[in-house]
Amino acid sequence: MPLASYQTSVPVVVDDAKCIADKGCTVCVDVCPLDVLRISDMTGKAFMAYDECWYCMPCEADCPTGAVTVNIPYLLR
Amino acid sequence: MADPFESYDDLEDIDDRLHAADPGERRVAIIALGHSGDPAAVAHLDRMTSDPDPGVRQQVALALGEFDGPEAAAALVKVLIDPEQAVANAAADSMAELKDPGCADAILPLVGHAHAFVRMASLRALKELRRKDTLKPALDALRDADAAVRVQAIGVIGFLKMEESIPALTAVTSDADAHVRRAAVSALAFSHMKPAAESITRALADTDWMVREVAAETLGTNANGMHAADALINALADEFWQVRLKAARSLGKMKVARAVAAIGSCISHPQANLRKEAAAALGEIADPGGRKFLEPVLDDPDPEVRKNARWAMQQIVSRKGALG
Amino acid sequence: MAMDEIVDGLSEVSCDVLVIGGGTAGPMAALKAKLKNPKANVVLLEKANVKRSGAISMGMDGLNNAVIPGYATPEQYTKEITIANDGIVDQKAVYKYAERCYGIIEELDSFGIRFLKNENGDYAVKKVHHIGTYVLPMPNGETVKKAIYRQLRRARILISNRYMATRLLTGSDGRIAGAISVNTRTAEILVIKAKAVILCMGAAGRLGLPTSGYMFGTYENAANSGDGYAMAYHAGAALANLECFQINPLIKDYNGPACAYVAGPFGAFTANNEGARFIECDYWSGQMMLEFYNELQSGKGPVFLKLDHLHEDTISEIETTLHKVERPTRGLFHEGRNTDYRQEPIEMHISEIGFCSGHSASGVFVDDFARTTVPGLYAAGDMASVPHNYMLGAFTNGSVAGEDAMEYADNTDFAKFDAADIEKERERVLAPTRREDGIPPNQIEYKARRLVNDYLQPPKVTRKFELGQRRLGEVREDMETRMIARNAHELLRALETQSIVDCADMAAHASLYRTESRWGLYHLRTDYPEKDNENWFCHSLLSKKDGRMTSEKRAVEPYIVPIGEDEKDLYDKQRVRASA
Ligand SMILES: Cc1cc2nc3c(=O)[nH]c(=O)nc-3n(C[C@H](O)[C@H](O)[C@H](O)COP(=O)(O)OP(=O)(O)OC[C@H]3O[C@@H](n4cnc5c(N)ncnc54)[C@H](O)[C@@H]3O)c2cc1C
Ligand code: SF4
Ligand code: SF4
Repeated sequence: MPLASYQTSVPVVVDDAKCIADKGCTVCVDVCPLDVLRISDMTGKAFMAYDECWYCMPCEADCPTGAVTVNIPYLLR
Repeated sequence: MADPFESYDDLEDIDDRLHAADPGERRVAIIALGHSGDPAAVAHLDRMTSDPDPGVRQQVALALGEFDGPEAAAALVKVLIDPEQAVANAAADSMAELKDPGCADAILPLVGHAHAFVRMASLRALKELRRKDTLKPALDALRDADAAVRVQAIGVIGFLKMEESIPALTAVTSDADAHVRRAAVSALAFSHMKPAAESITRALADTDWMVREVAAETLGTNANGMHAADALINALADEFWQVRLKAARSLGKMKVARAVAAIGSCISHPQANLRKEAAAALGEIADPGGRKFLEPVLDDPDPEVRKNARWAMQQIVSRKGALG
Repeated sequence: MAMDEIVDGLSEVSCDVLVIGGGTAGPMAALKAKLKNPKANVVLLEKANVKRSGAISMGMDGLNNAVIPGYATPEQYTKEITIANDGIVDQKAVYKYAERCYGIIEELDSFGIRFLKNENGDYAVKKVHHIGTYVLPMPNGETVKKAIYRQLRRARILISNRYMATRLLTGSDGRIAGAISVNTRTAEILVIKAKAVILCMGAAGRLGLPTSGYMFGTYENAANSGDGYAMAYHAGAALANLECFQINPLIKDYNGPACAYVAGPFGAFTANNEGARFIECDYWSGQMMLEFYNELQSGKGPVFLKLDHLHEDTISEIETTLHKVERPTRGLFHEGRNTDYRQEPIEMHISEIGFCSGHSASGVFVDDFARTTVPGLYAAGDMASVPHNYMLGAFTNGSVAGEDAMEYADNTDFAKFDAADIEKERERVLAPTRREDGIPPNQIEYKARRLVNDYLQPPKVTRKFELGQRRLGEVREDMETRMIARNAHELLRALETQSIVDCADMAAHASLYRTESRWGLYHLRTDYPEKDNENWFCHSLLSKKDGRMTSEKRAVEPYIVPIGEDEKDLYDKQRVRASA
């Protein structure tokens, strides 16, 4: 069966201007229990790659520059 | 395939990275230092406390939170007095986790610092270290102009549980600030001397309801609480149900039989939390006089009240049985 | 390399004690094992990252079951847990926990974890009801994981993050031999040979589907997909009382705890739409959940957490804890809906079902040394059968497991296993990556969990269960023959889906086996509505025998803390209704 991609708005937002992933930081990617954050090859910044979030906060709490904002996933907002 | 285990060699090339021109890179290196858990990292972190970039210094303050001991404390002192508040906040949090009593030497001089925040944070950290030589500076800090500092000073004194500090603690039960009075009243709990109980008792007449609440609660745990039974009975008529509730609980704990009628009068209060506590207290006292107050609430609409009332009735019945 | 690209690779390591799951019980088990024998190799394997993994990733706002001298005794605690669990308890393990947990609190305190203390530096234990006092708040509990992690680094424990264990290895003599795992970002296989293995993989939290429909909006940390239950099952270990589901009262939609334990001592309570209390039960139990469920179904629902009768200053104090620790997005959620604790009560609901001993009693069967029925295999925390043990139980029993496992490892050699088992498991694991075309794991998972809600959620009806088993069988067929994973991350989800389907099968099987009702809502069977002590005052043990799922009875060990006749049915007695 062919696969289609599915649109979803992700709850976690990264402020590219503040993110220092391009300096070697991977803190948020490292701590996420669901492993849904990645560093983008294109921008060199962190982003949410998979919409599988427990809205638990380590990414936001541990980011050294305050670049991460966790929102409540839309379906349960 | 890469080594499947987390590395323990984070410090190897660290010097280069700590000297990187870019503050972002220095920050990342400091994160690695904290992560290493290696005590040798503390010396590196200590050097970085004077980094020109506040973001880097904030990271240093956080990373120091991974370590304990006099060296870590000495480094934290440098970031606690940082002009940037964000750096100082991070340092204060890290400092509050220190456990090694040896840390006190580095922190003690800060108790006289010009900034109130520094004084507050250093006293807060000293509290957990419980070192006798912190008593004197803490006693002095009771006269600090800043209320938050006075609250932490009370903590340092209270944790030490030394009877000689009772007069000083008593003095601050009439502090201008309600938070300070609250802390002072509960810090007196440990004392076996009468003056402490008397001070707590006086606090039952405080203008702030939360101070009165703490006083009512503390008397239930104080060795001389019994002598305050009459004051607690008066507190059962306090305008705040929260205060009455604690008074009822303390009187129950101390099994004050002459409080039965006054506790019983709380049992018709609209606030179910108070009815519940009153019923429980009557059970603890287990005086037959409690019966007539309990009977009407045996089928109270609130299940907690009903349950406690039933339990209380049982206590009364079994005590009567025991007395023959 | 493209993101999460699949890499072909297999490596092998060996150690004395392998701990799987670095949440709460796991780090403590690893630490205690290492301290017992500092020369030994201890590996801690974790699917996520030990720094922030598991139920306590953002800390906890309090201990629910602290047995602190002066406030409660081990006897009292054991009695209460026995009553709360309808008598089906092997008391030895509960008693051992109760005796040891205070020492663990002191140890955690020395690690720098901050419990609430009064101004004299003593633990500020909170009274909830007259029976016993067990609640110790942690308003600064957000540092729990950090503090534990620090200890692990100090002891130089070998930590493997981002490896998901998939199956256990057992020797020809039936002893444990190690485990197989897969890297969640590269799909490389790591085989760990071990003399003893401790399972600490948490609850099976992704079994039911949250009512929001968001698959990861579970009560439990969504990384806890029941892998530990599935692995123990496939290794031949017995699992106890799986029909005693976990169901919790939660903030509706947000699906996190409303934290009656935090707010309760301040005077908040669970209320119906009349603003009145309705819960009769003293303990967190299936009985309490039944009362909650009945109220929701009655005209008196919805159910709320009521705080609006409290003073403004009290509410602020509660908020600072609730919005900082444990599930810190709580505040954000309320803000989004414009609900303020001061103005209106918070709407609550019940959670999806799961397995968990931390909150109920469904777990891998263990004795008072945390030993499972497979020699050398241990289990601790939410996935082990010691009932109602919560966070402190995970720490305490994790420490019991760590010490005993090291002693076992010190006196034994590696078990010999069949090398073909590794190849077989590698093929099973990678099968979804070998397919060109098929169904993605998220669809299979969604369907399986939707079926769990439709058919397995209490009240349990035999006919529904049988239908559910059939539908789940069809899903299993699709999963085994058509599921596809296009990168390592999807493979992680595909493997989790397999654990979820295994757990669903176990939930159905165990529930049908026990032909009575027990544990309130957790095992409420409409066809067998009564408690049947004559035939069912026993554990039910589920295990794999000759490749098939079977269940059997096991007697409850004689009590060491006697329960009086009048106390046995305490719940039934407590249910005294107001005379109308
Ligand atoms: C939201 C919430 C609130 C709670 N509140 C309280 C409270 O206030 N007080 C209290 O006492 N208790 C509370 N509890 C209960 C308590 O937190 C748990 O009982 C306890 O933390 C469980 O510990 P554990 O080690 O068994 O599981 P966890 O801490 O969940 O750890 C399980 C670990 O296993 C890992 N894992 C899973 N599968 C695999 C695999 N295949 N391979 C490798 N690793 C794997 C996971 O990533 C995770 O790190 C709460 C629980 C939750 C979820
Ligand atoms: S933790 Fe913050 S700075 Fe680091 S990669 Fe993530 S978003 Fe960027
Ligand atoms: S909120 Fe939790 S699950 Fe979501 S991205 Fe952040 S760390 Fe990961």
